[in-house]
Amino acid sequence: MFDNNVFIEGSCRNVEEDGRIIGYEMETYITYYRGIPLSMINYIAVEADGEKVPAEDIRFTPDRIDWFTIKEMETVSEIKWEYGAKGVVRVLKEGGLSEGEHQVKLTVCTRTAYIPVPLEGNMTRTVVID
Amino acid sequence: MGIKSSVSLYSLQYQYLRGQMTLDDILKYVMVDLGADGIEILPDQMLHGTPAPSDETYAQWDALMEKYHPGLACDDIFLNTNLFKNRELTKRECVELIKKEIIMANRLGFKDIRLVSMVPAWILEPVLDTAAKYDVCLSIEIHGGLGFGVPKTEEYLAEMMRLDSPYIGIVPDTSCFCRRPPRVVDEYSMKVFGTNPDLVKYVNDVFASGRDTFHIKLANGGRDPEMEKYIKDPAKDMFYASNCDGYENCPLSVMDPYADKIRHFHFKCYEMTDEGVEYSMDYAEVIRYLHDHNYNGYVSTEYEGNRWVLPDHPIPELEQVAAHQKYVQKLIRDIEK
Repeated sequence: MFDNNVFIEGSCRNVEEDGRIIGYEMETYITYYRGIPLSMINYIAVEADGEKVPAEDIRFTPDRIDWFTIKEMETVSEIKWEYGAKGVVRVLKEGGLSEGEHQVKLTVCTRTAYIPVPLEGNMTRTVVID
Repeated sequence: MGIKSSVSLYSLQYQYLRGQMTLDDILKYVMVDLGADGIEILPDQMLHGTPAPSDETYAQWDALMEKYHPGLACDDIFLNTNLFKNRELTKRECVELIKKEIIMANRLGFKDIRLVSMVPAWILEPVLDTAAKYDVCLSIEIHGGLGFGVPKTEEYLAEMMRLDSPYIGIVPDTSCFCRRPPRVVDEYSMKVFGTNPDLVKYVNDVFASGRDTFHIKLANGGRDPEMEKYIKDPAKDMFYASNCDGYENCPLSVMDPYADKIRHFHFKCYEMTDEGVEYSMDYAEVIRYLHDHNYNGYVSTEYEGNRWVLPDHPIPELEQVAAHQKYVQKLIRDIEK
């Protein structure tokens, strides 16, 4: 239902810190129609070229201020991912994505207030790294 | 004063999400361009930091109210009982959350809160003093698929009648009164999922016979054996087969016992047709019912066709909301003159 909210087109890029590429990141809107505390993000998953990224290598921030692992978010009830805010999903991977074309799939799943099943949104995009 | 028109800003959610319209732009569109009497808002959607926004957020809100003077029809709130993955919130935690919402509603200027469907009935009594203190009425949303006859909704209705307070009411949603299932959903499911057209025809036939699949399943332990014959490929058909239970084909008379408890009304819009009417619901019938029951609150356009726009197609939110408002405002004018 919220697939179109996931993985903002053209947002995927390698991340450089202190002169080396530490991984890659992409932006996404929330898979819900309202903002919720991070503890209500059920999970976030990334697949690159068919290969699943280990959950412990994923970081998320709703505002580029505070970054969390998926596990850490389970207790974050005071910081919200606001509706309309571009959340950032970062994958820690030495060297990031190699030059060329990649298929990157992002899954964002949230728990809602009244629908018993968590709402999952998926989007696969072709990403070109120059 | 009579029936008043409002727009739920939920209707324009993609304009907001994608940064195409700010809250200021949306208020201007609804109040100035469409000439609605008021607005309904989900604070969690278009205000930051709810249910305890910053002074800065409140100041921005106050400035918008000063600029557009919208009637404040309804504040739509949620109860995050599943805030944590490992447990449900306790009753005490839930009560505290609702009290915070009441205080915020009052600060924003609302006198009516819509509680999302399935909010437990036991929340009412412990928050009643707070509701009275802040002069805010709490009303459960009665939505298609979660409507009359569903145990949790019935528990709420029974508790509302037992407490019999001016601070407890209902917000019915016209998805309970669909005379046809939404055509945009039929088309979306067939094109995007490859849903069996015979299944779609079956559901349409059920509605044409004056019934709905939701009630057939409610009466048969959750199953509709006739429908199951048309489910050929679960991957293509199951979404449609369960989603259609979110539309009911009830007579308006199901509201009779609670007519004086209606505080607000959601006027759903799945698709305004070229003829200027809504495809699934007969709004002349609904407006007549409300008028005959001396209803003098708001009725809010709630556009939900946005979920059923084919991928990569533009979402006609502005056009659909404008057409629906034009339609509803005329029905109100005609009956209230």
